[in-house]
Amino acid sequence: MDNYDAVDSNEHPWLGRLIVVGLFLLAQGIAVMLVAFVALLVSFEPGWSATTEQASLLQPRDARSGTLLLKEDGATIEAIRLGIDIDVTVSGPTLRARVTQVFRNPTKDWVEATYVYPLPTGGAVDTLKMVVGDRVIVGDIKERQQARVIYEEARRAGQKAALTEQERPNIFTNSVANIGPGETVLVQIEYQEPVQQSANEYSLRLPLVVGPRYNPAPIVQSVDFRNDGSGWGATTSDPVPDRNRISPPVLDPARNAPVNPTSITVRLKAGFALGEVKSPHHNVKIESPDSTTRIVTLSDGIVPADRDFELTWKPAAEKAPSVGLFREHVGDADYLLAFVTPPTTEQATQKPLPREVVFVIDNSGSMGGTSIVQAKASLTYALARLQPTDHFNVIRFDDTMDVLFPTSVPADGTHVREATSFVDALQARGGTEMVPAMRAALTDKLGDTSMVRQVVFLTDGAIGNEQQLFETITAMRGRSRVFMVGIGSAPNTYLMTRAAELGRGAFTHIGSVEQVEERMRGLFAKLENPAVTGLSVRFSEAKADVTPAIIPDVYRDEPLVLAAKLDKLAGSIEIKGRVGDRPWSVTLPLQSAAEGKGPSKLWAKRKIGDAEVARTIRELTPEQADKAILALALDHQIVTRLTSLVAVDKTPSRPEGEPLRLSELPINLPAGWDFEKVFGERPQVPDQLRERHADARNQPTARRPTPASPDAIRLPKTATSAELKMIAGLVLIVLALVLFVFNRRQTLLTDAA
Amino acid sequence: MTRFVSPLVLALIGILLFGDGAYIHAKAWLAQVLLQRAFDRSVATGEVVKPWSWADTWPVARIEVKRIGASAIVLEGTSGQALAFGPGHILQTADAGERGVAVYAGHRDTHFRFLRNVAIGDIIEITRRDGRQFRYRADASAIVRFDESGIDPTAQDFQLVLTTCWPFEAVTPGPERYVLHGVLIGVDKDE
Repeated sequence: MDNYDAVDSNEHPWLGRLIVVGLFLLAQGIAVMLVAFVALLVSFEPGWSATTEQASLLQPRDARSGTLLLKEDGATIEAIRLGIDIDVTVSGPTLRARVTQVFRNPTKDWVEATYVYPLPTGGAVDTLKMVVGDRVIVGDIKERQQARVIYEEARRAGQKAALTEQERPNIFTNSVANIGPGETVLVQIEYQEPVQQSANEYSLRLPLVVGPRYNPAPIVQSVDFRNDGSGWGATTSDPVPDRNRISPPVLDPARNAPVNPTSITVRLKAGFALGEVKSPHHNVKIESPDSTTRIVTLSDGIVPADRDFELTWKPAAEKAPSVGLFREHVGDADYLLAFVTPPTTEQATQKPLPREVVFVIDNSGSMGGTSIVQAKASLTYALARLQPTDHFNVIRFDDTMDVLFPTSVPADGTHVREATSFVDALQARGGTEMVPAMRAALTDKLGDTSMVRQVVFLTDGAIGNEQQLFETITAMRGRSRVFMVGIGSAPNTYLMTRAAELGRGAFTHIGSVEQVEERMRGLFAKLENPAVTGLSVRFSEAKADVTPAIIPDVYRDEPLVLAAKLDKLAGSIEIKGRVGDRPWSVTLPLQSAAEGKGPSKLWAKRKIGDAEVARTIRELTPEQADKAILALALDHQIVTRLTSLVAVDKTPSRPEGEPLRLSELPINLPAGWDFEKVFGERPQVPDQLRERHADARNQPTARRPTPASPDAIRLPKTATSAELKMIAGLVLIVLALVLFVFNRRQTLLTDAA
Repeated sequence: MTRFVSPLVLALIGILLFGDGAYIHAKAWLAQVLLQRAFDRSVATGEVVKPWSWADTWPVARIEVKRIGASAIVLEGTSGQALAFGPGHILQTADAGERGVAVYAGHRDTHFRFLRNVAIGDIIEITRRDGRQFRYRADASAIVRFDESGIDPTAQDFQLVLTTCWPFEAVTPGPERYVLHGVLIGVDKDE
């Protein structure tokens, strides 16, 4: 205070007052700046580390992380909403399903939405409709690339467009471009599928969710040698080249309410008096207008799309009809669909052959939760069913593998007990390297031809490199037969059916612990009883193109399903084969075939399947197979690997200059799956980051443990800290100057005093 | 005199920080000059020419937007070090002029600052190391998250993507990226 008094006594008192005011302002300014600077550091520092940490979390492991695109301004972030309605009509042996996906855009942006969804493996997708307001735009079938181009052009031109593409025979993607703010667009696809039959029971499955797939790392290159034995070949580097197309974001059920509400209606017209009708995995309401018809709806109205819907029905009569014959006339050809259940020989008259059974159990992370319980229960049941004359072995795999016994051992008490406790101790974790396990299972070490060799493979099939597995089975199957047991609420049915077909075995599916015993008993009936072998088909008058081209052996209680294209509907069809060691034949007059819906599509779909198999087993070159598939697909309007449906609304709707955002719709984790087992630890979202995105709960935090993919383009960090450093530097310099001036002034004032 | 120590220390730190920031800009500018030379020699000889002997990357293309007088030499790869010297060509993507998407990424505050001025319809010229020139037309832009670029690497037509951090004015790094999309419209027209 002395100083100021001194100043006051100066001859310029106003100067002193000015200095006091100025100094006060300066001091305040400095304080504000300091606080601001500290605040800057405090608020940004965690921001940096959060961003970088997130980047490193995602970096190499991750093809495409599950995050929805969000608007920048924190308050109004909302994602595209999706509702699904499935309407199925069963007419006798076939069913037609209409899947309506409702894309609603509650945001203020123009959005492009993509949704990855499953369909039954045998389903022939032939119709795409897009409903915008009161306009219905019907899609056209086009070659895949061409359809893509049409869609992209429409997308850029601001027109509404829908595109249906096949990623796997049972995984499809719908893309919808230019959904306006607040708008709703309906996309409807339809498919035709045969009804499944086993023993006395008919069934249909509606897969509702794609289980997250394990996509093996492309570290080890596999080599394709040319067939000509020249020793030259090419390396194929990635076992799952399209990994990012089949890996939609997955929501952690512990952190998110289930999404994608689904309603289901099934109109069941079985064509015979119905007995028991039930849905094992969903609560349903069943109405019976008459004895052959049922209308099945979900009693809860809507369910989240997180598990497969299954419906089974039995005839009221003791036995299901053993023969069914249906026809359809399309263009200038007749199509025929035939179901024949061969007679079963009584077990007493047949002495079962001794068997060598190799059980393979998948204990990867995707099996975590109830799936591993089902798998273990199934395997324990199977072990108990073995006869002392049988030999057996057990293989377990995740991304590692253990073979219990060096070679198969007799199924005596000691060995079975050892195997049972081995199975009991299994826990689900790790990746799914299925190919080495299949290879080990198919390696015929015993080589004892007096025994029937069978491989029983228990898995959910949650892998993306199906093709590699098929090639392994084809190359190594030898005399082994492969029986697939699909486990869990949403198994990969395509993998199961194709692997069983290539392995000349059968496929069964276990969706819950309660089904284990019933289904395993059915499977054992197939394993223990001789199949109907050496099947052949002959048409007396008509020239026929029959599929499957190579008729597989038929196991106990399974019907033989044939589809054929005929030049005329005349004469009869004769099916011959051997049941055990006895010849068997049946003759069906074609005239008695009933008019049915869809045999032509099903024939084409089966032919396409045949071509894919021929490609896998190298009967056709890839080019030949592709040509055949393309011709069939375009002819019959079916979506395949090579063809897509595309619909474009010619009226442009998005004004030029408005940006379009991409939104990949997240899917649920299949019911019973364990999020942490599949995706590893839940990522720790730093608190700072969460504050910055008020909607952190909307943000799916899925981190896929998939390895780096050459496909995924991740944009690098393209900002330097130059500006920040320069600003900080300038602030400090100004601060220093201010301090300097302040100090100097004080010194001067002291001196003056 | 002790009262002058704290302002001096502050000033020193400030100058160091400022210098560090300025150094980034200087490095970006100087590197482009050296890269320009190396690239010209590269085009002339047809060989990979490193801009300086210890460089772990090399120029692969020149990006020009004549309308706004912008130009940058692109390096192979997008490591942090490479990006300090010039925009980078993302390794798994196609080369300019080839089937697929050629993706180049650069810093928003140095080499790719000009992207903010590129309008839809502008011609972007890319000269490759082998001297061939490709002309693209900017036809779309979008703001995406870095891990959701939506860029289809299996695209079958000839596309170009220039990308940088978004927003341009921000001073801290963030997850959003600005993506400028172009399609091929001509080859070697200028030469």
